[in-house]
Amino acid sequence: MSERKIGVYVCQCGGNISDYVDVERVRQAVAEDPDVVVARTAMFTCSDATQDEIADDIKLDDLDGLVVASCSPKLHTFTFRGVARRAGLNPYRYTQVNLREQDSWAHTDDRLGATEKAIRLVRAGIARTRLLEPLDPTVVETVPRALVIGAGIAGLRAAIGLADIGLGVVLIEREAEVGGHVRELGTMYPHDRQGQELISELLGEVRRREGIALFTNAELVRKGGTFGNYEVDIRTRGDSNMTRRFEVGSIIVATGFDSYLPEEGEYGYGIPGVLTLPEFKKLVDASEGPLVYGDRPVRSVAYIYCVGSRQGESGPHQYCSRFCCTSAVHTDLELRAKAPKVHQYHLYRDMRTYGRYELLYNDSREKGSAYLKFAPDTPPEVQRRGDGQLEVRVHDQLASQEEVNLDVDLVVLVTGMVPRSNQELIQRLKLPVGRDGFFNEIHPKLRPVETVVDGVAICGACQFPKTAGESVASGLAAVSWSAAMLKQGRAELDPQVATVDPDLCTFCGVCMEACPYGAIGQQELGGSRQVAVIDPATCKGCGGCAPLCPEHAINVLGYTGREVEAMIESLAAGVA
Amino acid sequence: MTATLQPDLAERVGMDPAFNPSACMNCGICTAICPLGLRHLPREVFAYVVLGMEEEVLQHQEEVFSCLLCKLCEVSCPAGVHITENVRALRHYFDRNVFRLQGR
Repeated sequence: MSERKIGVYVCQCGGNISDYVDVERVRQAVAEDPDVVVARTAMFTCSDATQDEIADDIKLDDLDGLVVASCSPKLHTFTFRGVARRAGLNPYRYTQVNLREQDSWAHTDDRLGATEKAIRLVRAGIARTRLLEPLDPTVVETVPRALVIGAGIAGLRAAIGLADIGLGVVLIEREAEVGGHVRELGTMYPHDRQGQELISELLGEVRRREGIALFTNAELVRKGGTFGNYEVDIRTRGDSNMTRRFEVGSIIVATGFDSYLPEEGEYGYGIPGVLTLPEFKKLVDASEGPLVYGDRPVRSVAYIYCVGSRQGESGPHQYCSRFCCTSAVHTDLELRAKAPKVHQYHLYRDMRTYGRYELLYNDSREKGSAYLKFAPDTPPEVQRRGDGQLEVRVHDQLASQEEVNLDVDLVVLVTGMVPRSNQELIQRLKLPVGRDGFFNEIHPKLRPVETVVDGVAICGACQFPKTAGESVASGLAAVSWSAAMLKQGRAELDPQVATVDPDLCTFCGVCMEACPYGAIGQQELGGSRQVAVIDPATCKGCGGCAPLCPEHAINVLGYTGREVEAMIESLAAGVA
Repeated sequence: MTATLQPDLAERVGMDPAFNPSACMNCGICTAICPLGLRHLPREVFAYVVLGMEEEVLQHQEEVFSCLLCKLCEVSCPAGVHITENVRALRHYFDRNVFRLQGR
C-alpha cells in the first residue's frame, strides 16, 4: 500500500456530536492507523481558527489527504475543499465523514454504540482518502449566445436584457405573433396599461437590437452538443420551411401557461352566460359603457373563485394559481368604472390579493361589491331556470351564514393557470417536470431559475403561476444567470464524473440506456472495436451507470469501485 | 330556507355617500369589542344589507336601535367601515319604511 499522509479532524460540533460520541476516544482509535499523520479534535472544525490550523497542518506535514468528521457533506464539503485548496492540497483528496446526522443525532440513546460507529465511519473515510487521486475541474469554453424559447412577456424582456448585457440572442416563438397571453389582455393591474401596448413596446425594443434574432412560427427540433456549446436546430414553418442551426451557451425556457378550461357542466360551464374569467375580461375590455351580453344588458354578475385551482385530492391542480383573485377583483373595478350600476357578487374560498393588490380588494369592497365565502365541500351550484335566468345557490360562511340564491345575468368562473402540454420540448431538453406539471427549479430560494440540466433555465409561468410582473422578474433573473456563466467565456464543472475503461468495455449499451442525461456515446477504438465514451461536461456523476456495467468498466471518479469497496471493508471489519 | 334577495337594498338604505357596509372584511373585531354584546350588529346586519336580504334586516330592528353609537368598534375597525354612520343610515331606513316617518 502506498504511503500516504492523512490528517484527521474529529469535530465536537459544540456538543451536537460530543454529547453522544466520545470524540477523544475516536481520535485515539484512528491516530495510530496506517497513513494517519495528524489526528485532532476541535470544538467547531468549521470555525476560522480551526480551518487555519488544518491549513497549517497541511503545509507543515505536507499532507496529501484530509478527513473531517463532522456534519453532513451537504453543509461543509465545499468549506473544507476550500481549506485544502488554500493550503495547496488538491480539494478532491478530501473526505467528509458525517458524525452528526448519521450518528450522534440518530443514536442519542446509545453513547457507547454511537462512539463505536463513529470510529468505523471515520476509518471508512480514511480508507477512501487513501485511494483518492487529485482531480481537476473540467473546463468548458462557453459560447456568448443564449436561446430564449417563447416570446411572451418574460421571453421578450429576457431577450432585451441579454442583448443589453452583450450576449447574442436567438428568440423563438411557436405562434405567428409574439406576446403570448399578455397580447390578448386589455387593461392590466396594477398600472391599468393595455397588454397589447406592453407587447408592442417590447417588440419595438427587440427590433432595435441587432444582437437579437427573432423567429416566429419557430420550434426547437433538436438539441445537441455539450454544456456551454449547445447546438440547437430551429425549424420555422410558413412561407419558408427551413431549419437553422445555432450554437448557444445557455437556453432559457419561457413557454408560459394555458388557462384552465372548465369541463362541460363544471359550475354550469356550457350554459349561455357562464364564462371563464379570460372570456369575461375580453367582454369587459371591449365594452364601452353599459355591459351587454348576447343583446341583453348585464345588471348583475357572480364570480366563482378557485375554478380549476386548489382541487385538493380530487384533481390534478392542487396549487393556488395566485393571480386570479387579484385579476377578478381588478376586472370588477374595471367593470364598475364603465358600468357603476352592475351588482357584482364574489363567491370565494379564500381571498388572496397578496401584497399591494390588497388595496384593489379593499377598493372593490368599499365601492359596494359583495363578497361571500363558500366552503370547498359545499361549492356553489349554477343553473338556468325555465325563464332563462341564471341562478347561483351558495351557502355563505361569512356574517350572513345563510343559503342565498343569486339571480344573475352572468356567471364568471375565475379560472387559474395550468401547465402547457409541451411533451416534445420536455423530451428534447430533458426538462424536470414537477408533480403539478410545471417545470422545476433547483432551489426555490437560492437557485430559483436554474434547472438540473446544465445551461438550461426556466422563467415565467412555465415554472408556476405568476403575474406578468413576476414573470418578467424571473426572466431577468435568467438573464443574470446566463451572463454570470457566459461572460467569462469558460465554466468549471465538477470532475467527479463517470469514466469508461476502454480495455474492459464491450459496448453492450446498458449504460447508454441507463444515463438520464444522455452523456454516454459510442466511439470506435482501433480496428472496429466499439466502446462507450462519457462526455465529462454532460455527466452529472450520479453513478447510475456504474453498477449496471457487467464488465465493471465504469468508475465514478472520487467514488471508484476500489474506493467504495475499501470503505465497505473498513466499515465491516471484524463484523461476523 | 333560502333567502330572497333585493339587489338594490344597499342603495335604498344608504343614501349617504359615507355609507360603506360592503367594506367589511368579516374579521369580527366589532362583535368581540361591543360593550353591549350586540350579536348581529354591525357585521351580520351589514352583510344582510350588502346582499339584499331585506327580511333579515327587518328582523334586527331592536339591535339597530340598541346601539349606543359609542364608536368603540369603529375606531378598532381595520377595514375603515363607517360603522356608526351606517347604523344611522339603517335607523333612517327603519324610520322611512317601518315607522313611515316623514322628513329625510
